[in-house]
Amino acid sequence: MKILIIEDEARIAKRIERMTRDFFDRDAQILLCDSVENGLNTIEKQSIDLLLLDLNLNGENGFDVLQTIVARSFQTIIISAYTDRAITAFQYGVLDFVPKPFDANRLTQAFIRFTTPEKNSGQEIQFLAVKKARNIKLIAINDIRYIKGAGIYTELHLSSGRIELHDKSMESLEKLLPSTFERIHKSYILRWEEVDKLVVEAGGKYNMLLKNSELLPVGRSKYKEIKQKLI
Amino acid sequence: MYRSTFFTVLLVLLFTSCKQYTEYVKSDVTYYVDDDKPQDFLGQSADSIFKVYIDVELISRESTSYPLGLQVNGFGAFDVYWDGFLVGSNGKMAKSGRAEIPGTEMTYYQIPENLAKIGKHTVTVIGTQADLRESRRGIKVKLESYLRLHRAPLIVMSFMNLMAGAFLIASIYYFFLYINSTRKEATVLLFGIICLLFFCLLIIEYIKFYIDIPYTNFYNRLQIVGLLTFVISILVPWYFMLQFDFKKKKLLLFLLLISLLTIYIIWYGHYDFTAIYFSYAMCAVSIIIAIDATIRKIKGGLIVVVGLLASVIVNKFIFYDFGLFIAFTIIVLSMLYLHTIRAKALEEAHNASLLLSSRLQLELVKKNIQPHFLRNTLTSLIDWIEESPQQGVVFIRALADEFDIMNSISEDTLIPIQREIELCRKHLDIMSFRKEICYTWEEKNIDPNEEIPPAVIHTIIENGITHSLPPKKGCITFSLSFSREKNHKQYTLLTMAENRNRKKENSNGTGFKYIKARLNESYGSNWHFESFAVEKGWCTTIKIFDKK
Repeated sequence: MKILIIEDEARIAKRIERMTRDFFDRDAQILLCDSVENGLNTIEKQSIDLLLLDLNLNGENGFDVLQTIVARSFQTIIISAYTDRAITAFQYGVLDFVPKPFDANRLTQAFIRFTTPEKNSGQEIQFLAVKKARNIKLIAINDIRYIKGAGIYTELHLSSGRIELHDKSMESLEKLLPSTFERIHKSYILRWEEVDKLVVEAGGKYNMLLKNSELLPVGRSKYKEIKQKLI
Repeated sequence: MYRSTFFTVLLVLLFTSCKQYTEYVKSDVTYYVDDDKPQDFLGQSADSIFKVYIDVELISRESTSYPLGLQVNGFGAFDVYWDGFLVGSNGKMAKSGRAEIPGTEMTYYQIPENLAKIGKHTVTVIGTQADLRESRRGIKVKLESYLRLHRAPLIVMSFMNLMAGAFLIASIYYFFLYINSTRKEATVLLFGIICLLFFCLLIIEYIKFYIDIPYTNFYNRLQIVGLLTFVISILVPWYFMLQFDFKKKKLLLFLLLISLLTIYIIWYGHYDFTAIYFSYAMCAVSIIIAIDATIRKIKGGLIVVVGLLASVIVNKFIFYDFGLFIAFTIIVLSMLYLHTIRAKALEEAHNASLLLSSRLQLELVKKNIQPHFLRNTLTSLIDWIEESPQQGVVFIRALADEFDIMNSISEDTLIPIQREIELCRKHLDIMSFRKEICYTWEEKNIDPNEEIPPAVIHTIIENGITHSLPPKKGCITFSLSFSREKNHKQYTLLTMAENRNRKKENSNGTGFKYIKARLNESYGSNWHFESFAVEKGWCTTIKIFDKK
């Protein structure tokens, strides 16, 4: 596992590095960058799994960076002094926001959120950032009808009928999405408002009928849970 | 909008008061006087005795309950007879061995009731005129109720003294304002002078009613009035020029002066005409200035144009004497109004500067509590305490010291340079704990008596720390030097380090805004701030020019 820390204050960077190493033990390869520029270069060259980002780096606004980064496949945890930006950060789809000053407990909590497949119960994400050519496009969560896994990518099926590709995995997205979304199959996450009814086909196949008459498969292991939720 | 209403009401009041007066002077005695004769009565003889008969025909009297009065205007010392009966004398005639005691120009006499019958009468004036014989002034008589003859001037005076008093108070007030003001504005002084001159003009004009001025000094008074009008006619347009910031001040003043002198020369000796033409010239020039101001959309321009036009109208429709003074009053009132507009603008500017000062104070205080500084510092601090408590304590002390200095300077607009340097050094201590970079401080040629706005160098250092790459080995050095040139002093702060790539050119960032606002606050526009990359790193200079 590769973890990148972008932090311009040497002492704090070391602190984060130490705590990260304590938590992940030997699994992690930790990279350190002290500027946005170096950080972005590193992201381009190496595929990382987790980014620990400071929002204000040498006087540069980290939000510009954040917008370009959240479209990537890796998860981002913000570690910042600007606690008032936390809500915005969550809206852009970060996994957690650790306010400075922080201790080992708080950072560990963020790491646990990263390692366990539990849903993000905290702040509600409002956008998913999607890479479009060289730009970043923000897609409102409410526009998404369902998400389909497609190899290392995911497909966002929008209410307009269009499909956008996202770099994050089904597992990563599941952590970010609010509770109005439900994983119904290993390849499908569905917005619950789209649900019409559960259809049982011959051969014990379960399908979910959507309000627009589309049919999505329901995983065997999920069936009971879904049925419960429908009642 | 209530202001214009106020002005209208004021103007109406002024007009009505005059109107009342003109109605009041309407004579209650109707008479015919043959005043062709008494123009050229002075003989060529050296003894200068004259004897003038004036025929008067009394046609009607409205009321006989008050005695009939006779007003005589003329030079010399004389006795006045009504139908051969001596009714009074003015001064003492010259007699052999006794020089003339001059009388005054205007005198009143009571006519005995038994002689004041309807019909023809003769006024005989017998006297001497030793002086001013060349003026050929003539003698005029006027019949009127004796009471009204005395009361009429009192009524004029009551209005004129009212105005004079107001102008005296205004002039004193504006002189005090000028003396006690730190700004020493020329317009304030000028306005005070105009008010004072105007007060003098009113007093001198009407002093004839209180004091018996010997006829020999009659023209002196008129000359003073002329002089005062002349000066006022220059000062009023000048005031408007200053107040409206008129472009070609000198040219217009020169033209005005030339025209006033021309009027003086052409109408030399005709005192009344001179004064009225002076005021015309003044009005014309003032209207030009005010119209120019209105076109340039300067506040108050329109109201002055209206005021001036109003005074022209007043002058046209009201008998000269008061017309002129009322016109002047309107002009001075519009000047006063202009002044209050100006005072309001100054007050607003002052409030804005106070607001700015307190905003800068706040900004200074915020430097140490803003999240980026405080939370990052605390995070590093926790780490130091957890990892090496002894160093952590040193860190805490440095932080406490910086807070102390910040606290002690937060309300000042200028602090000793040594205090500022102390603040910078403490900040570098803190930052070296945080960044684990070695920062060193150098200073050259610092004059400990110099002062500087608080946290200005500190802000430059903050920027230097942010925008410098950590050195591969050694330290980042900040070097502050001071130099004094002929007309300015200069602080130069050199940051010796490799610069980071700056994505955005933020030479107008909040840090620089703070520095510029602080320099403005203390030095007005007499400063120059520059910040640029140099080979060694980054150089920032602050030049403070000596006051002009």
